[in-house]
Amino acid sequence: MNYTVHTPEGTRDRLFAECRERRQVQRALTALFRRRSYAEIITPEVEFYDLFLQSGNPLPQEAMLKIIDRSGKIMVMRPDCTTPIARVAATKLRTLPLPQRLYYDQTVFRSGDAHRGGSSEIAQCGVELIGAAGKKADLEMVALAVDALKAAGLERFHVELGHVGFFRELTARVDMPAEAAEQMRSLIEGKNFAALNDLLEPYDGQPAVRPLRRLPYLFGGAEVLDEAETLSGGSDALDYLRDLYGELKHAGYGDHIRFDLGLVHQIDYYTGVVFRGYVEGAGDAVLSGGRYDKLVGAFGRPAQATGFAVDVDAVAACLPAAAPVRLEMLIHYGDGEFARALAVLDVREPGSCELSPCRALESTLSLAREKGASVVLVLENGGERLVEV
Amino acid sequence: MSQNLRIALTKGRLQDKAVSLFEAMGLDCTPIKNPGRRLIHTIPNYPLDGVLAKAPDVITYVEHGVCDLGIAGKDTILEQGGAFYEVLDLGFGKCRFALAVKEGSDFYGTYKTRRIASKYPNVARAFFARKGMDVDIIKIEGSVELAPILGLADAIVDIVETGATLKENGLVPIETVAPVSARLIVNTASMKLRKAEIQDFIARCERELEKK
Repeated sequence: MNYTVHTPEGTRDRLFAECRERRQVQRALTALFRRRSYAEIITPEVEFYDLFLQSGNPLPQEAMLKIIDRSGKIMVMRPDCTTPIARVAATKLRTLPLPQRLYYDQTVFRSGDAHRGGSSEIAQCGVELIGAAGKKADLEMVALAVDALKAAGLERFHVELGHVGFFRELTARVDMPAEAAEQMRSLIEGKNFAALNDLLEPYDGQPAVRPLRRLPYLFGGAEVLDEAETLSGGSDALDYLRDLYGELKHAGYGDHIRFDLGLVHQIDYYTGVVFRGYVEGAGDAVLSGGRYDKLVGAFGRPAQATGFAVDVDAVAACLPAAAPVRLEMLIHYGDGEFARALAVLDVREPGSCELSPCRALESTLSLAREKGASVVLVLENGGERLVEV
Repeated sequence: MSQNLRIALTKGRLQDKAVSLFEAMGLDCTPIKNPGRRLIHTIPNYPLDGVLAKAPDVITYVEHGVCDLGIAGKDTILEQGGAFYEVLDLGFGKCRFALAVKEGSDFYGTYKTRRIASKYPNVARAFFARKGMDVDIIKIEGSVELAPILGLADAIVDIVETGATLKENGLVPIETVAPVSARLIVNTASMKLRKAEIQDFIARCERELEKK
């Protein structure tokens, strides 16, 4: 392979429409975040590896791109935006009153599997609400998630809510070794109904097993909360979700809200409501977030927090492609006419008009033909004329 | 959305079994059985399009969401991994992954780091990691049985159906690594966005499987 002309696997050059679409989504999201009084934070692209080993951080070490610096320390290309922000909130912002609202528009780097079509550079826009717990904070965050996907231009999408507390309450009622409980969690996460049934068979005598068995099926509209209620005989997490849903519905967000009580990923990291956004046309969640009340405390200042990140390119890929701007005009200008040429250029639609660098009009005309422009504006000796190509 | 659900079927033996299951469910599978030059086969009496693919590609298509559903062997799922829902054990294509050694050899009776030949290096690696054993894994593409016979490896991890091939080559299975059968897998986003249609399909499969 010629390393001078290829980009590394998982990376790509982006041009034209891909750039416009990514920027359009970023602009829409960041404008919304600012409007809700979130302040931007930019963190380093390179951080110490140790930073990402805090508090149940779910990233496996093989997912992080590592660099060894001159003194031999292990650094990583930022694999996640939340952990550095938690570090900042607990240290540099420790004198500021909570809550703090922060947003970011940054790339994260992951070393994905080779040949799986994944990207190692993921453009994320996201928010963190640090130092606020309870229903109002979760309400603000989930509503912002819905508004973010709407602002990005999506119509057919769901934001799906779960609560890690429900799974925790159910497992606490079952007498089961920790290893089996973890295996059960991973089978519920993968909606692996068959293997879950096999795993739970020896525990069938215990009544709390029934709702666990049904957990992978408990996704969909608000009716799953009722079914979960009947199965479990009630739970604090369910009451909380129902209450939150009531507020969301009242505020007009109900149509976009779904539930998945089997959302039990990264259980050591998340501590409460978790959510994901799904859009027609994307093969995976395009938005992911939840409450993580332990992470900030790991850096020395306990603070409850919640947040989410949007996968910008995944959202952009679901939007209808915008028609590219066509080049219509070249400006051929003579000596002393540069200012006039710029004055014309600057009021035209960006991309529809370019300055010609050629000295001879003949060369400008042939350039116009090559680039597909239909007309040349000639500015010479104080006069102007249009030449059709 | 009016578009049909799309299912990727693993070509070959699993395809035939899947088609028999679908026909028992009342689906008209004529287009899949007589594919001609078409690549996407629409079931006339159920909103389902089928595509045929090699097993690892079935997983890739489902993972990326270009197919909503897939039928793949647990062997491929274990080897390739990936993020999708594994919703149903279809019960056909049954076999197992086994650890096999040359007859009479004492695999565990040594401190030497053992070398394992396999077409499924990830399955082999995970198996020995669970045991807390460090082993050298060597990937073999063709007849894995040859590796211990030629002295390249101390054991193999491979798919065993009857054990006849192993026996012919003087090998014996000493341990089951994992049972294998065909699974119905579902893309994570499709499961959420097309819940009713997918659940209907899963329920039909389940009803048919229960009859057996």
